Amino acid sequence: MYSPEPRFNSRHFTAVIMPAKELNKQCMECKDAEFELTVRKRQLCRFRFIAHKVHSRMSVYRAFGLDGPKTQLLLPVSFGVSSSVLLHILNADRQHRLDNGRPLGYDFKILVIEPSTVVATGIPFDQNYEALEKNFPMHTISRIPFHSIFDHVPEMEEIMQEYAGSKFIDDSTRSNEERLSAFRASISTPTSRTDVDTVLLTRLVVEFAKKSGCESVIWGDSDSRLAAKALAGVAKGRGASLTWQVSDGMSPWGVRFEYPLRDLYKAELLQYESVCAELSDIVIPDQPPSDNILTKNLSIDELMLRYVQNQGAKYPGVMANVARTANKLNPSTSDNAPTCALCAGLVGNVKGNSGVTVANQVEDNHSSQFCYGCMRSRPEELC
Amino acid sequence: MAPTACFDCKEARAVIIRPKNRHKLCRACFIKVFETEVHETIIGTNLFFPGERVAIGASGGKDSTVLAAVLKTLNERYNYGLDLCLLSIDEGIRGYRDDSLETVKRNAVQYEMPLDILGYSELYGWTMDQVVEQVGKKGNCTYCGVFRRQALDRGAARLGIKHVVTGHNADDVAETVMMNLLRGDLPRLSRGTSIVTSSDASDIKRSKPLKYAYEKEIVLYAHHRQLDYFTTECIYSPEAFRGSARTLIKDLEKIRPSSILDIVKSGEDMAALVPVEVRGAGKATQAGAEEESAGGCGSQNGRTSGGEMAAMEKQLTENDAAESLETEIKLPSGARVKPNRGPTGKAVKTQTIKHCERCNYISSQRICKACMLLDGLNRNRPKTAIEVGVGMEDEESSSTLMRQMERAQLSAT
Amino acid sequence: MYLDSGGLELLFGNERKHKVVLPARLEDGSRPNISYLLKYLVDNLMKDQRIDMFIMEDNVYVNVTLRVYSNSINDVDRRPGILVLINDADWELEGEETYELQQGDNIVFVSTLHGG
Repeated sequence: MYSPEPRFNSRHFTAVIMPAKELNKQCMECKDAEFELTVRKRQLCRFRFIAHKVHSRMSVYRAFGLDGPKTQLLLPVSFGVSSSVLLHILNADRQHRLDNGRPLGYDFKILVIEPSTVVATGIPFDQNYEALEKNFPMHTISRIPFHSIFDHVPEMEEIMQEYAGSKFIDDSTRSNEERLSAFRASISTPTSRTDVDTVLLTRLVVEFAKKSGCESVIWGDSDSRLAAKALAGVAKGRGASLTWQVSDGMSPWGVRFEYPLRDLYKAELLQYESVCAELSDIVIPDQPPSDNILTKNLSIDELMLRYVQNQGAKYPGVMANVARTANKLNPSTSDNAPTCALCAGLVGNVKGNSGVTVANQVEDNHSSQFCYGCMRSRPEELC
Repeated sequence: MAPTACFDCKEARAVIIRPKNRHKLCRACFIKVFETEVHETIIGTNLFFPGERVAIGASGGKDSTVLAAVLKTLNERYNYGLDLCLLSIDEGIRGYRDDSLETVKRNAVQYEMPLDILGYSELYGWTMDQVVEQVGKKGNCTYCGVFRRQALDRGAARLGIKHVVTGHNADDVAETVMMNLLRGDLPRLSRGTSIVTSSDASDIKRSKPLKYAYEKEIVLYAHHRQLDYFTTECIYSPEAFRGSARTLIKDLEKIRPSSILDIVKSGEDMAALVPVEVRGAGKATQAGAEEESAGGCGSQNGRTSGGEMAAMEKQLTENDAAESLETEIKLPSGARVKPNRGPTGKAVKTQTIKHCERCNYISSQRICKACMLLDGLNRNRPKTAIEVGVGMEDEESSSTLMRQMERAQLSAT
Repeated sequence: MYLDSGGLELLFGNERKHKVVLPARLEDGSRPNISYLLKYLVDNLMKDQRIDMFIMEDNVYVNVTLRVYSNSINDVDRRPGILVLINDADWELEGEETYELQQGDNIVFVSTLHGG
């Protein structure tokens, strides 16, 4: 049913303005698949639409690779819908290019951070991992636990101690796993915990990318997810970091971050996944949001995800526009400005921000090795 | 629970918890720290100069009342040398503005400040009651909002005053940041957080000294100093639509009370990251003129309505459809992607600032919105109902969303 | 838009002050707390817009000041934008809805929302 033809030709575009009647039962792109859905007013089979969006994004890498060495990318797979769908699309594209003797332009490696070491859900995922290896045998897949951050980022020990403050005592005689849980447990609120977890996971992915010679990380965040990330980032005082946490761009560690699913809604990815046999054994379905959690006990990230989901049902375009807007911001040009020891965000204000009181108050009270956003999530902060 | 001692003086009983840092303070220390922080904001931004005449946009509500009280206190304590007065706008809504204006009149006596009241009838020839009589209750907020935006500037100009301060607080600024992000409005994102906005057209500087003050602390300050302020909702929007951004911000505040200032911080940083070419034409921005209302109308100030969101959704869908007619993104061979631009990075629209041909007020159009609305009103005087002609209200979807958004609040009744 | 004051005094501006009388012990033997008061306000102030003025022995008298919009009191713990002060202190300092009311307590509900 799915033949990965990534090029778009003009014929398909003329088809758009043809009367709908003639196209009734046909995908506007591959012509052979029966038309399955109308996505944003275009009648496409669901694969085509989604794959096209991703290929448009990925064509950038191809352009890099055509007259130079192949670009190495790192794809972190979380077993969620989005990253799994991204993997499927990229794999199909790669296969198709190999079959046709066309240049790859880029290649990618897969990184799995063991879900069980991130969230204790009790759900075994070994079978999902096996399915991943079985269905995508052409790729290098690395599987590492969250607590391997101590191995990959040696200075992390010191940073954590500094960050968690005097009340936290890091017992180096314990296992890495225990030490990481102790650190995470020292952070009191769901918002701060989620925030710091995200920072640590990002660090781990970046270090792994560097070690494996990857110059970019391609994240599987959907449009909805990026919108939620942008809103949550702003709400957590991390507005200046949106230029790499939500936008395509250079991260502070010298590894580029790319979000090829940025034009796709979560709902569209779910549609794709639902008819994709290779993914059925891999994807761990999202936990349905619990209704009986009081707002104040949610994390900010969770609140924003829910907000984007609720509003996105009625205003998908408005939500999508949030990520697009964030993507238009310029990266900060403050050269040699001090950066945060934990998240590498700017310490102090972005150049050109003359705000007087906000940043100063938080950062001046403590050492300035951490940025505003990280200070807010510190264990000693009572908020 | 045993009484908690004040974090600052360690003696008196703590009565407030600061949202910003969770410090527990007694009444006296809280009042002192609140005032000191406003003072630091004023000094840190060189907001005033000695001898400056400053008009306080006063509505009788908590924000402007607290602003007047604090400015009077600080002006005396730190010898700013300001010549302060109160400036009120009378929209002409009987039973609503009447009462709040009485509050402002008492404030003028309490704070020993001269008061000027400028009416819509005087400025525009129409009171809001008359506008409502003509256009009905639906859509009247549009008129009020547009008229109000200009009224303070015009009032100040009339008094020969070049600086108007308004009671916008941190919650308002945070709301504006979120709104502009949701609206994808980069020019406004770049301006919305700045403490001073000015416009060439009226030569009047607008500023918000309470920009870093939490709404909650403003209410507490008013309570603990027993300030005389007026609490009500406009009678024309008794269940005022509370936009997405506001609900979101209040939820955020529950999760992490500091988040309001965190959003302000993010907003300030992002403002500095907005590409220069989309920021708007330097000083001649519309910020002062079109983005703020005088003292906060419960339904319109910095908020989007359902209609606006629905209209934007429609627009975006159309853009999307148009975009899919474009050809695939082509990159010149070997070209490096510009840092931090999506491959589809599109040109962002810029705003050009002109002056209204009728009233000379700054406007992005040939005729400013207020004059356009007045045209409609005058043409149809006395009785014919007219459409709200500013292209932002889709009544059907607006009221649907409004119902949806209000459901939570109404369900318990 | 305000609760009918039920003939009670009007302070400056538009505050509504109510003297509320509650049983010292509830049916289950517990003492009335803020949750109970909220429910009481909703049941009595909202529906009848009048205040029960029967005074009996063993009652708790509390003074309630309302500076809120009519609908908002229903939902004080879930709906944002209302401050509750117990004898001038933020209710968070006093145990929020579990605070047990004492004779002569002053309870204030203030809206933080715009309305100007």
